[in-house]
Amino acid sequence: MQFGIFSVGDVTPDPTTGRTPTERERIKAMVAIALKAEEVGLDVFATGEHHNPPFVPSSPTTMLGYIAARTERLVLSTSTTLITTNDPVKIAEDFAMLQHLADGRMDLMMGRGNTGPVYPWFGQDIRQGINLAVENYALLHRLWREDVVDWEGKFRTPLQGFTSTPRPLDGVPPFVWHGSIRSPEIAEQAAYYGDGFFHNNIFWPADHTKRMVELYRARYAHYGHGTPEQAIVGLGGQVFMRKNSQDAVREFRPYFDNAPVYGHGPSLEEFTAQTPLTVGSPQQVIEKTLSFREYAGDYQRQLFLMDHAGLPLKTVLEQLDLLGEEVVPVLREEFAKDRPAGVPDAPTHPSLLAGARKQEGARA
Amino acid sequence: MRIVVVSAGLSVPSSTRLLGDRLAAVAAPAATAPEPGPADVEVIELRDLAVAIAHTFTSGFPGRALSDAFEAVAGADGLIVVTPVFSASYSGLFKSFFDALGVTDPDALAGKPVLIAATGGTARHSLVLDHALRPLFSHLRAVVVPTGVYAASEDWGAEGLDGRIERAAGELAALMAGLSTARPLPRRDSFEDVTPFEERLAALRPAG
Repeated sequence: MQFGIFSVGDVTPDPTTGRTPTERERIKAMVAIALKAEEVGLDVFATGEHHNPPFVPSSPTTMLGYIAARTERLVLSTSTTLITTNDPVKIAEDFAMLQHLADGRMDLMMGRGNTGPVYPWFGQDIRQGINLAVENYALLHRLWREDVVDWEGKFRTPLQGFTSTPRPLDGVPPFVWHGSIRSPEIAEQAAYYGDGFFHNNIFWPADHTKRMVELYRARYAHYGHGTPEQAIVGLGGQVFMRKNSQDAVREFRPYFDNAPVYGHGPSLEEFTAQTPLTVGSPQQVIEKTLSFREYAGDYQRQLFLMDHAGLPLKTVLEQLDLLGEEVVPVLREEFAKDRPAGVPDAPTHPSLLAGARKQEGARA
Repeated sequence: MRIVVVSAGLSVPSSTRLLGDRLAAVAAPAATAPEPGPADVEVIELRDLAVAIAHTFTSGFPGRALSDAFEAVAGADGLIVVTPVFSASYSGLFKSFFDALGVTDPDALAGKPVLIAATGGTARHSLVLDHALRPLFSHLRAVVVPTGVYAASEDWGAEGLDGRIERAAGELAALMAGLSTARPLPRRDSFEDVTPFEERLAALRPAG
């Protein structure tokens, strides 16, 4: 099982000091956080993609390429890559380039984006969101699997004799996750292709996450990719820890109360009762995270949101120390217990390459 | 048969709630006649859910108590909705409840008989029924009962209110009975009825 972090890349004033980091500071902080993730033994770093203030990560492969050069082990990913408003041809090119530079240590997560104006800014219509995700990904899927593509669709200029370069590393396309919070259509899409499905459950109650994941698992099996238990599931999480849980609550409360997404709404206590947010001791984080398996089944990737709402870099790095030293080792051990033998790990470049070679061998 | 009363009255006791209760008391036996047992009646007091309703907008999902209320509304055979008049319209709390419901379950009221009612200090605002409530519930694709009931303070001591209650409640009961024979309404569950992916792909393929 993989453990990692995902960043929204928001530039938010620290509510305890009123200070807002500059864009440069925030970008460099994201890099420092990614490097720390590797240092403390996490497996994955994923960045969001946004095209409006107060967010900095508009160019994920630039950032991930830079991080790839400074890490050895970390898998670099996105949370999410906008399949609706990016040209799928450019996604194919950018991420294949990243795949080569990172020696295969990457994958990506497709998402539609939830900022209305981004669609018109990029010449698209938000009412076509699902259709854009369907058509653009269908093209991206082909561009990484067919050397020469002739293509015609509803939303993009036709292609005649087009070859996306560089070709995927070792002829193995990057693994793709599809992220969606509330659209069964996207769970269906992930299942159809046998891709991963990531439910960013951090603001949602467990019963909703359960329905989305169950649908994906059932349809994954329907399309013949394996049993429902073998489907590739990822979940989000959101934590703030101190050794003493009262300290965690006291320190995090001003960030919670003023957070861009849920601030000025329910109390921290109500929100932690209803959603995966955990504010407390490492032990509480361990218990809450283990409980995800009760409604999502045995899953492959757990990403935590650690660096939002104006938390200073120093605090985030301390959080990552706690996550890497006290939480993830226990989670690895506990999640491995009673895990049925048939449940696969999240695909990586080496595992996909081995699978492809095996298939070739079987054909030869 | 089940009637749900949604009352946006704020005081306790409230004349808004009183009007809702009066309407339900007449509609419940009429909806099931000639059966001897009246329809079940459940009352949802929005005052008790005020904070939860606001949190739906900040959190993006309804809490447990509000989810239960939404389920009751979606599962009702008929609705009686009653609001006090605030600033020449329905109250903000009343509108927010249906906004939050619409975000959570856009089809919750589709095809459902709804009796609209309002209370106010004076009769001058009685057109709120037809200028504010009726378009709101038309938008939500409810079947709005032809007679709405408005009760000004003075109506509680005058002739005529009981007659309007009888007529409106009778119309609601008739619609409930009539529409219930046409049930079940096909409520589409997007988790149960998934459009197969190939259909989606095919729909985007250029013709010819």
